[in-house]
Amino acid sequence: MIWSIAWRNVWRNKLRSLVIIIAITIGLIGGIMYYAIMNGMVEQRVNSAIDNEISNIQIHHPGFLLNEEIQYTIDQPQNLIDEIEKIEGVKAASSRIKASAMISTAETGTGVMINGIEPEKEKLVTGLSDKMLDGNYITDKDRIPILVGDKLAKKLNAKIGSKVVITIANTDGIITYGAFRIVGIYNTDNDMYDELYVFVRQNDLCQLIGFEPKKSSEIAIRLTENITTDQIADVIRAKYSDQIGSGILSVRTWKQIEPTLFAMIDMLDLFLYFFLVIILAALAFGIVNTMLMVVMERIKEIGMLMAIGLNKKRIFSMIMLETVFLSIVGGIVGIIISIALVQYYSTKGIDLTMFSEGLNAIGYSSVLYFSADTKFYIITTLMVIFTAVISSIYPARKALKLNPATAIQQND
Amino acid sequence: MNTLLKIAWRNLWRNKRRTIITAASVFSAVFLALLMRSMQIGQYDMMINAGVLDVGHIQIHKQGYWDSQSINHACEFTDELKQIISSESEITSVMPRLESFALASYGEMTKGLLIQGIDPEIEDPRRKLSNKLIEGRFIKRKDEGIVLAEGLANYLKIGLNDTLVLIGQGYQGITAAATFPVVGIVKFPAPKMNNLFVFMGIENAQEMFSPYFPQLVTSIIIDIENDNKLDKVKNELSQKLGDHYEVMGWNEILTEMVQQIQSDNGGGIIMLAILYLIVAFGILGTVMMMTMERRKEFAIMVSVGMRRYKLAFVVIFETILIGAIGVIAGIIAGIPLLNYLYYHPIPLTGSTAEMMLEYNLDPIMPFATDSFIYTNQSITIFILALLAALYPLIFVLRFKILKAMRS
Repeated sequence: MIWSIAWRNVWRNKLRSLVIIIAITIGLIGGIMYYAIMNGMVEQRVNSAIDNEISNIQIHHPGFLLNEEIQYTIDQPQNLIDEIEKIEGVKAASSRIKASAMISTAETGTGVMINGIEPEKEKLVTGLSDKMLDGNYITDKDRIPILVGDKLAKKLNAKIGSKVVITIANTDGIITYGAFRIVGIYNTDNDMYDELYVFVRQNDLCQLIGFEPKKSSEIAIRLTENITTDQIADVIRAKYSDQIGSGILSVRTWKQIEPTLFAMIDMLDLFLYFFLVIILAALAFGIVNTMLMVVMERIKEIGMLMAIGLNKKRIFSMIMLETVFLSIVGGIVGIIISIALVQYYSTKGIDLTMFSEGLNAIGYSSVLYFSADTKFYIITTLMVIFTAVISSIYPARKALKLNPATAIQQND
Repeated sequence: MNTLLKIAWRNLWRNKRRTIITAASVFSAVFLALLMRSMQIGQYDMMINAGVLDVGHIQIHKQGYWDSQSINHACEFTDELKQIISSESEITSVMPRLESFALASYGEMTKGLLIQGIDPEIEDPRRKLSNKLIEGRFIKRKDEGIVLAEGLANYLKIGLNDTLVLIGQGYQGITAAATFPVVGIVKFPAPKMNNLFVFMGIENAQEMFSPYFPQLVTSIIIDIENDNKLDKVKNELSQKLGDHYEVMGWNEILTEMVQQIQSDNGGGIIMLAILYLIVAFGILGTVMMMTMERRKEFAIMVSVGMRRYKLAFVVIFETILIGAIGVIAGIIAGIPLLNYLYYHPIPLTGSTAEMMLEYNLDPIMPFATDSFIYTNQSITIFILALLAALYPLIFVLRFKILKAMRS
């Protein structure tokens, strides 16, 4: 019965209740939107990194990880790939040969990381083939093809069809030169990546530097679901435990390859929840004020209720429930509107191209997609209820302190 | 007016609790806002200072160098150029640089790196490069030797007094090749820089890349006394130098950093906007209640002759005063705290610190004490209070005396 009384009391002064409800609604929408935006950005960055740059899992010879020297190789990569692709949850795996080199045109020269890939296999592992800005992905028909990022192409003043010279140390340590023709220019949203990585056919690179064809520098593995990364990495580690143990194989997840990326997700979550707490704290002031007025206005009424026998516990619950109902209405409206907005913008996205240079420089896309998961909404709701309960304590205690006899005689 | 103010002030304290709670909410919002903005602005200042230390306030290149980054767009540092530059009064230092990419080789190892040909007498004290030495010494003017970054030295397995072979593409297509003894090794906390740089006297670089054009530089880096004069100096130099050269300010060179700062700034302002909106509703709620409560009182005052507009002033003052109490309290609490933090920034640890070092920043959380931080908050609250005051204002101007008297 207290529940229905409390609910009706909330609506006795519609204007006042409405003011605080709107405040809660707006505060929540603001907080949730902010979270959705930031979360969306980070999620998109991580997905983009996994999709285009580092994949879910990478396998190397541990020696390679120190200085990327080409003599540290994985033996019989094709066997590993065949076995790994049989694991459930693995979409595809591909092997690459990596080496650092210098690329030059008549205009200038600069350092790059050369990736010798198997073009068809690579298509299944990274999104590179979808990121071609100009020209084409590598096909069998090309003679000595190379793919460069648009930032690099601009620096080299090169376009489709331009010839570039790769200066590289071969497996004996002797400097060799090789000519390649640009068949495609790609663009991920990460400028740092685009400037550094170039792609050639594995066989072409092997021939240039005398690399043994049955070995590879790196195996990249793409999974069907990013979430499963850690589990599947463990499966792979178990499978090749003796090679890992004898120090010739290292299996790393994207979290280990780019720990800063991973740290960013955690830090951001913490920060955003903190912001939500601050919003709720600000709202708490408003709620306390409102409820105090509510109690003060009804001193006579509360005195009367106490006099006819409503015990203290019930009065306390009544006030508390009024506070909670007030806040929940604002909370629910706020959350519903936020969910609608987030859903809409999670597919449509907001265009931030005026900041594109800055965003792309640190690897962020300039189109913003919102993202928030159910867990977040649930936690937010709980936080709203918690705030309401805490805010109700002071006003409710004020109500309890009333002396029924004097309260009834109040002339307010 | 004075009387009205006094009346407003006393009215506030008729209901102490309500006034205090409302003012407290303003206070907490202002205090938080001050803290947050100070942190953000402090961080931007830190990033900008680090950036300017690296690229200078202004850079002069040959027209087209910035887009191509190619040594073929280098220019000669002629006496005429030196004169034009020295005629600008705001300039505090001038540093010519010759930078280009090259392949380095020692023993069995080869690696690409960036050669920075500098004037060590000016650049070393400015960038504190000697402080980063872990072995040997830094180069001097007209030095024969070079200084290597630690990452490079480890990779190439090269040490002091060993000779490094360098090959690159020189000016106008010649092959640049030279050997130099290593006289020092420096360590940069940022891994990107630690694996990238080789420092040599600019004369050595010039000999290597363009023996036929001895005064070749890729960029001339200029520091000025006062950052506010940046545009003035830039425009004057631009005019005097003409189209052959491009003159760029640090904000054009570090466009990415500038945009990052702008978008972060925007995000911060949005956060504050949300917070202030909530506070505004708090003030509105309080003010509404005060008005509703005093309908009878207003009615009596107006019916015994008080002009409505004077009553309106009273309620407006009341609203503004509540906001003012909160703001002043917030500022009083904020100033000492921010001043303390300005001189004792919070040190950061762990993966956050590593990330900052990678971007060549001190791993601290800096704070700023610029006055605009305080004035912005005050103005915002003032405006919000005015907006909230609209409700009682409209009510006072339009209520019907008899109806209010009987409420």
